[in-house]
Amino acid sequence: MRNTWRMVSVGVAAAFVISACSSGSSSGGDDDNDVNSSASPTETTAATGATSATSATTGDATPGEAVPASGELFAFGFGYDTGDIIAQTRVDEFREANPDVDLTFSEGGFDSQGFLSALASDDPPDLVNVPRNELGTYVARGVLAPLDECIATHGVNMDDFYEGASSQVIVDGTVYALPEFYNSRIWIFNDAAFEEAGLDPETIDVSDWDALADASVALTRMEDGKVTRLGLDPKLPEFLPIWAHANGVDLISDDGLTAQLDDPAVAEALEYGNSLYEPAGGLTDFLDFRDTWDFFGPGNQYATDQLGGMPMEQWYLNVLAEASPDLEITVRALETRDGEPFTYADGNSWAVTTSAANPEAACAFAASMVSVDSWVAAAQARDDERAESGAPNTGVYTGNAVADEIIFNDIVDLSDQPVFEAAVEVVLDIQQYGFGTPPSPASAEFKAAWEEAANQVLNGEDAAQSLATAQAEAQDAIDSAER
Amino acid sequence: MSTTTKGKRSGFHLTSAQNRRLWITIFLAPWFIGFIIFLAGPMLWSLWLSLTNYDPLVPNTAFVGLDNYREAVADPKVQTSLFNTVFFAVIYVPGTLLSGLGLAMLLQGVGERSGGFFRTVFYVPNVAPAVAVGALFLLLLNGRDGLVNRGLEFIGIQGPSWLNDSRWIKPGIIAMMMWSVGTTVIIFYASLQNVPKQLYEAAAIDGATGWQRFRNVTLPMISGSIFFVLVINSIASLQLFTEVYAMFFGQQPSGAGSEAALFYVIYLFQQAFEFFNMGYASALAWLLFGVIGVITFIQVKTSKRWVYYEGE
Amino acid sequence: MSTAPADVDTSGLTAQPKSERTPAQIAKRALFLLTLAFFTVLFIYPLVWLVFASLKPPDEVFSAGLIGSEIRWENYTTLFDLAPIPRWTLNSIIVTFLAASSVTVSSAMVAFGFSYFRFKGRDPLFYSVIATMMLPGAVLFIPKFLIWDALGLNNTLYPLWAGNLFGSAFYIFMLRQFFLTLPRDLFEAANVDGASYGRMWWSIALPLTKPALVVVFILEMKVAWTDLVGALIFLRDPEKFTLARGLKAIIDNPSVGLESRWELLAAGSVIVTLPMIVLFAIFQREFVEGIATTGSGGK
Repeated sequence: MRNTWRMVSVGVAAAFVISACSSGSSSGGDDDNDVNSSASPTETTAATGATSATSATTGDATPGEAVPASGELFAFGFGYDTGDIIAQTRVDEFREANPDVDLTFSEGGFDSQGFLSALASDDPPDLVNVPRNELGTYVARGVLAPLDECIATHGVNMDDFYEGASSQVIVDGTVYALPEFYNSRIWIFNDAAFEEAGLDPETIDVSDWDALADASVALTRMEDGKVTRLGLDPKLPEFLPIWAHANGVDLISDDGLTAQLDDPAVAEALEYGNSLYEPAGGLTDFLDFRDTWDFFGPGNQYATDQLGGMPMEQWYLNVLAEASPDLEITVRALETRDGEPFTYADGNSWAVTTSAANPEAACAFAASMVSVDSWVAAAQARDDERAESGAPNTGVYTGNAVADEIIFNDIVDLSDQPVFEAAVEVVLDIQQYGFGTPPSPASAEFKAAWEEAANQVLNGEDAAQSLATAQAEAQDAIDSAER
Repeated sequence: MSTTTKGKRSGFHLTSAQNRRLWITIFLAPWFIGFIIFLAGPMLWSLWLSLTNYDPLVPNTAFVGLDNYREAVADPKVQTSLFNTVFFAVIYVPGTLLSGLGLAMLLQGVGERSGGFFRTVFYVPNVAPAVAVGALFLLLLNGRDGLVNRGLEFIGIQGPSWLNDSRWIKPGIIAMMMWSVGTTVIIFYASLQNVPKQLYEAAAIDGATGWQRFRNVTLPMISGSIFFVLVINSIASLQLFTEVYAMFFGQQPSGAGSEAALFYVIYLFQQAFEFFNMGYASALAWLLFGVIGVITFIQVKTSKRWVYYEGE
Repeated sequence: MSTAPADVDTSGLTAQPKSERTPAQIAKRALFLLTLAFFTVLFIYPLVWLVFASLKPPDEVFSAGLIGSEIRWENYTTLFDLAPIPRWTLNSIIVTFLAASSVTVSSAMVAFGFSYFRFKGRDPLFYSVIATMMLPGAVLFIPKFLIWDALGLNNTLYPLWAGNLFGSAFYIFMLRQFFLTLPRDLFEAANVDGASYGRMWWSIALPLTKPALVVVFILEMKVAWTDLVGALIFLRDPEKFTLARGLKAIIDNPSVGLESRWELLAAGSVIVTLPMIVLFAIFQREFVEGIATTGSGGK
């Protein structure tokens, strides 16, 4: 039982890195909890007292009939035994409140292949930890259950969640999942590189694409024809939605039914992003260099001055704070070309399957995992852990704005880490301006289509033409999934 | 006689012929059962699925006739993956054939004792699991500091970006697969050892040059092996999957490899298990079966002209 | 790695004639040896490099030089900490052992059936066995998945080996060749002694073909150990993974964006590869023999 998979359970979704990184330092911290057995009788009785206490304070809205759930519950796509304290604390909170639930996890991160095959098996999961960006596909396939009733029962207030998160889980006015983490993107600049290039990371106009392009050139360092420092990394194809949004257009309409890949602004954004690779000698030299980085370690690209700056998920601050706490970096909000700050947000969410044998408990679990109490307890637990190890705590970024407020006001204290304190402030400011990819019935195909087009453009093909092909493919896929 | 064994089966009596038939059945039973459960049955099932829109999660499966096949023929991804696969096969198969033969002849020149040792050395890469080979080449083929490009730099060549440049991804994959040429070397080496020495001696007496001896003695004598290697490697190369899937697919982020390294079986796998379009994927599987069948058939037919069988 | 000839070949010892050589011959010989050395390095060095890369500090994996600034054994402990390597290893051992033993016994049964007995329709039937070797495995992915799913055995180790209980065409073909070389008199004598056909198979045929059975066993060990497709199709929970499937998970998961922990990837690759190298070192004759006779590594 102890041999559960720790590394892999941190899934594809960016949220996992928080656990990966936190477990990096505490990786020895094995827990002795046996995921596959129900709580022992003594624990059960001991925890009953806590049950009422927790349910009384759960949620801000009036909790409905928050009767403790019971029965067997199987959750897919979530690793409990990862040594990740954020995951464990919240699960433990639920276990305490619902001692009669026999909870098991698949112990792997979410992957569509495993999920579909689990659904087809004799023992389908009751609930799933699914990336919000992929949710639409499963809703369209009819494998996820509407949560409206669940929300009412457990007094979940959808307004507690960031708009950028809740909009991703509501399809046609029906809630299909509860947002978990909230990964927003910001610019992370390398101060030393900027200084050397005669630039000021605090004041550079990130809404001015010409200025960014110039900066990218100035920040790039070549030695003997080989790039040794990349200027600005546009992170294509992955971040195409960001560049397009900055250029005034989203890749897909708000209802998730119309692809907008053939908008000239998308082509322009793609071509612009692509041009940022040029100073390094082209995309392939750029990527070949980037592939050699020690991304998670003390030899990371900021510490070793291998990068000028890039847009990045905010959890990466946590990585940097732990790997190289003395780093000099500047964090800036993303801005549209009109100068409006924004961020692109995603993360996982909890959804209940239509094949759930125990939908009540599944709903209770989902609601509990994203509740304010649960998040606050987890953030506190991590803070205690970090205090012990002496590493700075840059916080947990949840989809729940109410929880975030408590966490960052009352728990996270970075006053002795001014660099990271400033960084976190930028992140907090930007979260409200987050936009997420709207749920689409063919989200996987849609993403594949634009990624493919972006890859083609990066490899030298015509942007307008590749995007037109992708547009046709994506729209086809959406239409046939919608039927 | 054989009555002693029957003593245990008191109650009824088997004649010797019946006993023999019973044992034949017992011996062949595993094959028959396996054939029905794991071969014939699945094939028929898969053929049926290819005519439906089967999706394990959708309760109503409809018969769609040849729609899947029609869709497949028009699917641009099928075209891409087929192109990639054929591109690979067309270079890899002759490449392995030539280098395998070359290395086997090299070994022959070493003398039998050391030849055996080097044969073992050449085979070592084949021992590494395919997924580990994929992982290893992710490291070796790094366009900047990978071992391959460091080696090329040593002889004054600036190596390309094997993993990020769509034009160089397939050549990189071919190089990776050629690293495992050892199997072919072993087959050719064994075959070369079997060429009767007298034939060479006779040819030498007739004043044949090295090339003539190779052309008129060696080639015909090992043509059976060449044919065998040709067929086996063709079939295998059309089904290339593991190494490439390990490197570029699964949960790997999208990059140039998503298209340049999309081989046919990888696309089939994605359709079947990542999207659960099992009807469509079955059609893809049968199309592959057809293509392999046709290619093998052509190879067998044309082989009569150049493969020399002893005793014919 | 040493280039000294090892005692691996059974084909006899024909030393090069020690006649005097002209300078041209010597140069030719030198070029020849150089070529050999080149290919030896080509085939062996990457694996040696891999071992050392797995011991380098994370930011030095791609650095020039075989050995990093320090030898970091803790890369392995980190990997063991992050992934359930012992569990995966155990799964791989179970699958490998069961796959190899079941295919050896079943193939030997069927091969004996096809070689000892002469019955009507035997040859066409045998050819049909051979014909299935040509079948592309990809055709069977989906139905096999559905069959094991129907049996409720997906996400267990059974699908990775139990199919081997029914023999494999390659091995049946190979073992039949061996059985055919056994003198028939041996069996006739046993028959006179009243042994059943089963006894004849078990106590006469099998012991006499032991070398061939070992070849089958070893080749199938390699096939089962290295199999990724099956593990990808049938296994879902990381707990159930084999090492090969686990390595794929290691390749996949630490990468966010495009960044990987290369030293762990190298360490994982070493862990998956090493047992095969050891197996090969012990049983190289069987490997070579198996390939020379079946024309494939058992695939």
